[in-house]
Amino acid sequence: MRRALRLFLPLTAVAATLVTAMVAAPPSFRLPGPMPIEDAVATMQNTAVIVSLLAIWMFAAVGLTLLSGREIRYSSIEMRASALHCFALGLVAVTSFVLTAIVFSYLIPYHVGVPLLFALGVFAILTKIYGTIAVFHAVGTLVAGTRTREQLARRRWLRGDLAMVVVGVIVLGGLRLIPIVGPIIWALASVFGIGTAMATKFGRREPWFLAWRAVES
Amino acid sequence: MNDPTVQDACQRYLEDPEADPRHVETCAECRALSEALAAKADVDLTPISLDALPLAPWEGSSHRAWPLVLGAAAIVVAIALALCDAAGLSPLHVAESSLASIDARRGLLRSASDWLRGAPAMWQAAFGLAFVVVNTLLVVLLRRAPKGIDA
Repeated sequence: MRRALRLFLPLTAVAATLVTAMVAAPPSFRLPGPMPIEDAVATMQNTAVIVSLLAIWMFAAVGLTLLSGREIRYSSIEMRASALHCFALGLVAVTSFVLTAIVFSYLIPYHVGVPLLFALGVFAILTKIYGTIAVFHAVGTLVAGTRTREQLARRRWLRGDLAMVVVGVIVLGGLRLIPIVGPIIWALASVFGIGTAMATKFGRREPWFLAWRAVES
Repeated sequence: MNDPTVQDACQRYLEDPEADPRHVETCAECRALSEALAAKADVDLTPISLDALPLAPWEGSSHRAWPLVLGAAAIVVAIALALCDAAGLSPLHVAESSLASIDARRGLLRSASDWLRGAPAMWQAAFGLAFVVVNTLLVVLLRRAPKGIDA
């Protein structure tokens, strides 16, 4: 019963959101009958690109989980334990990335801007990739994670970090395919992920800054 | 306690409490002694049932469900290839579209920095202030220790 609730509650919420959006949307947003062929082709191409990127995400997620599963798990736990902090940190971090990138672009004529901008870009991309994979793990654990030892012993496939990450990729990827709502969910997941990656220092749980203590006499 | 068999049992219990843990239930003297030691060492004597404890996040986490992983990856790749074929796209086009989105962001960044360079001094000062405030807030938020495992 609880498992059914865990699966169907999010699906019901998504379906209700879609129905509400379709009912409440202004007439210009509603589908005006049969779609022109150009729009249909564009939609199919867009879907093909999204699913292809999803496949790349799946390979990246499996590879990173094999390399550093413990770190991904720590970040996933942190996101579930203090979601609000991770989200706030993610929002501030994304804003900081944008503002810092503008400052570094401002410095490009002085030659120092290019390497700084490159380093910032690499750091931001790595943070997003790591964080999004941690979000996959957290979503997978929330949807299909085990709650008891009996459940864990009974399961053959649906357990372990790899399985949780794969389930998370499929769930979030499926949500990503929903028009309008999907990109918003994906963007929110990215913000959560960047916040989690920064909060846990990529799962290493080390402080970013050394604490200053006065020398005892 | 004067009974030699009882004394032997007490001696055996004191030497190895794990060998006969039930002895403490029948012998008041040994029970008092172990309770006093436990109180001194601040140890809870009640037995712990492993099944009653909540499942730790690391339990079973190293299991690698290859059939699930390979199956899911194969299905996603097959759907992606089928959709690309139906839409007349090549995998190269997918990479190009990703690079195009990066280019678009780079263009936005360049136009923002151009705008900042030509903006009045007041706007530049406001931008500088926002930059300092946001990064200070980031440092403040980063100073909080993660609590996930201890939560």
